[in-house]
Amino acid sequence: MWSEKYRPQNISDMIGNEESRSLIIEWLTKWKKGTKPILLVGPPGIGKTTIAYLIAKQFQYDLIGLNASDVRSKSQINEILLPVLGNVSVMGIPMIFIDEVDGIHGRGDFGGAEALIEILKEPTIPIILAANSDISDKMKNIKKVVKTIFFKPIPPRLLKIHLENIMVKENATLSLGSMIKVIEKSKGDIRSMINLTQSFVTGFDPPVEKSFENINVEDGINAFFKANSIDEARSVLYSIQIDPKSKIDAFYSSILTSNLDNITLAKFLEIISEADMLYGKIMKTQNWRLLRYLNEILIKLYKNDQRMRYSQYSISWPLLNRIRWDGKKIKSVSSIMAKNLHLSSSKFITICFPYMMFCIKNNKLQLDSDDIFYDIFQKEIELIK
Amino acid sequence: MGNRQEDHMLLTGMWVEKYRPSKLSEIVNQTEIISSLESLIKDPTDMPHLMFSGSAGVGKTTTALCISRQILGEYSRDYTLELNASDERGIGMVREKVKKFSRYAGMVDVPFKIIILDEADEMTSDAQTALRRIIEDTAKYCRFILIANNISKIIAPIQSRCATFKFTTIPEEEMINHLETIAKKEKVKADKNGLKAIYDYSEGDLRHAINLMQATASIGEISEVNVKISAGLTKTSDVDDILKMALSGKIIESREKMIELIKVYGMSESDFLKYLNSAVFKINHEKISSILQVIAKYDYRILVGANPEIQLSSLLAELGKLEK
Ligand SMILES: Nc1ncnc2c1ncn2[C@@H]1O[C@H](COP(=O)(O)OP(=O)(O)OP(=O)(O)O)[C@@H](O)[C@H]1O
Ligand SMILES: Nc1ncnc2c1ncn2[C@@H]1O[C@H](COP(=O)(O)OP(=O)(O)OP(=O)(O)O)[C@@H](O)[C@H]1O
Ligand SMILES: [Mg+2]
Ligand SMILES: [Mg+2]
Repeated sequence: MWSEKYRPQNISDMIGNEESRSLIIEWLTKWKKGTKPILLVGPPGIGKTTIAYLIAKQFQYDLIGLNASDVRSKSQINEILLPVLGNVSVMGIPMIFIDEVDGIHGRGDFGGAEALIEILKEPTIPIILAANSDISDKMKNIKKVVKTIFFKPIPPRLLKIHLENIMVKENATLSLGSMIKVIEKSKGDIRSMINLTQSFVTGFDPPVEKSFENINVEDGINAFFKANSIDEARSVLYSIQIDPKSKIDAFYSSILTSNLDNITLAKFLEIISEADMLYGKIMKTQNWRLLRYLNEILIKLYKNDQRMRYSQYSISWPLLNRIRWDGKKIKSVSSIMAKNLHLSSSKFITICFPYMMFCIKNNKLQLDSDDIFYDIFQKEIELIK
Repeated sequence: MGNRQEDHMLLTGMWVEKYRPSKLSEIVNQTEIISSLESLIKDPTDMPHLMFSGSAGVGKTTTALCISRQILGEYSRDYTLELNASDERGIGMVREKVKKFSRYAGMVDVPFKIIILDEADEMTSDAQTALRRIIEDTAKYCRFILIANNISKIIAPIQSRCATFKFTTIPEEEMINHLETIAKKEKVKADKNGLKAIYDYSEGDLRHAINLMQATASIGEISEVNVKISAGLTKTSDVDDILKMALSGKIIESREKMIELIKVYGMSESDFLKYLNSAVFKINHEKISSILQVIAKYDYRILVGANPEIQLSSLLAELGKLEK
């Protein structure tokens, strides 16, 4: 795996984020008991984990690494970390690195984050945290007790130099066009760039002209509904080579967003439903032989129809956003509340939650503005007619 | 440091919790069941596994919690494991938690540990089969109390391992008496017509009734008018709307609303189908039996492992085609 092979061995070998890197070095050089821990925030694949390991190595600390799955509950945190914090002399000089701290949030166990914050408040050894995002409420609380250092996506110019270096070491070549494509696609994520390059170099030369053998979903779906005969449609269908689930989903979302009349819509969705059942059966029985019937179900969708257009999403943007943001918060509310009311989350949200919001709205139940759920409750109260 | 999860302040203000009976003798209505259970737990070592069935909000979970408290006394918190099958994804989680719990060493002064598995009918039959084994493996130290709305969804081998009790819905008079007691304690005025209206909306579900009464109290006294204002807040009325929209041909709209319920609010697909079924009986539609057939068809598809979102979308589209 090239991305591991080319993990930098020294901080000075890293590319990008020079300023953030020197801030970290400065932090550790000046570190003394009580110095605030640091939190590295940034998108994937730009060196957060890498620098934590490298700085420990360079300054000869023993790095105790944890990630979100290790630190879910208060007792786990205390069990793992308290001995380290107390017993400095026995084990050399330890340093704690907690990766993916944003992962602690939203799992319905808040004791973990709280216990962590207690530790962060009085650091007896250097502590580094890393996260992709710092916007959740939980992260806001963590941010109060640490110094935050941001990591940004790597600019294309640096990516290109790095990529060329790797190509030389690998004795491989990549056309300029492919190189640009790889850099563009990786959006500043070094790891993703390296992985993509490796797949290109080891065989999948990015198609220069669109071969009919393997076309992308969007072109495929559009071509399918523009085909002039069922045979043409079939050959398009077979050349959309993606996993069966994505194929079904692509047709599904395109059908739902193409403004079809109700009769056609119902007919098409019934076909999708049938395809999906087949897929469900394959997954359950692991009987992949059945997969060959999938295209024969989907071909029933064929109809030269100018209205049909590919779409990736089957629901509106506002709803998509609500699922992404409100949905997450509501889930954590209901998992806590439902437990305490001894019923399922689904029942809680259906029956109890609306009445509860109504009582809050009428000021008969108190809502504390410190409450972790304050924002989402306010929003839900406004939604009551 | 106070544990937020344990005592979220909103919950202490909820009347359903405040007035949840803590002793078997306080439970309303289920007299025969209660007296039989009371004699069963006199000598707990002989107590079989128990299974409670019956509709929502009639005291099943409450009874289970009372039993645990009465048998285990001050240890009931430590030696009771409460799981909700509709929240725990698959048997794996259940197995792991049960295993861990049953291993938990050193039992003092208690005859066994108690595992309350709520909404057990939400488990697939595969999962139930696995559960059968778990019940056996842990029988030495644990008693199970299984709870289900619909006992016919519980496989026979599990039923046969339990003493089964069927809870009935709370009759009008008993419910109104109970609501009156609560109203008195909360110092809210309640008149007969208001309480009767609550009973009608609740369909014998005491949890729903108490919630509705609390919501009504937040705008004034418990009168028929005020009850009407507060009723219809629950998300079951959203399901009613979804059905109406679909039947009138607004497929895309009804689908977005269905997805909102499931993906934003977390209503389970099986609850959605359950409420959809009861919504059918609330409307006046000449094709009732075709509607029910369509619902049954997709319910089955989901049951055998198809993708719920796709299937429910197709369901709504098919309903949209019915009228005309
Ligand atoms: N600054 C960098 N210089 C050179 N290579 C890098 C750099 N950052 C990342 N890489 C490459 O990407 C791989 C992954 O980096 P790393 O594990 O540090 O990412 P990360 O920022 O912690 O990402 P995530 O947020 O996904 O955990 C490394 O093995 C290395 O190949
Ligand atoms: N028989 C009863 N006697 C007194 N209170 C009851 C009774 N049944 C329900 N309640 C009230 O309703 C609330 C919910 O009851 P419980 O949790 O026992 O319902 P359930 O039968 O388990 O319902 P579900 O099937 O929805 O889980 C209780 O907190 C209590 O306030
Ligand atoms: Mg990392
Ligand atoms: Mg219950």
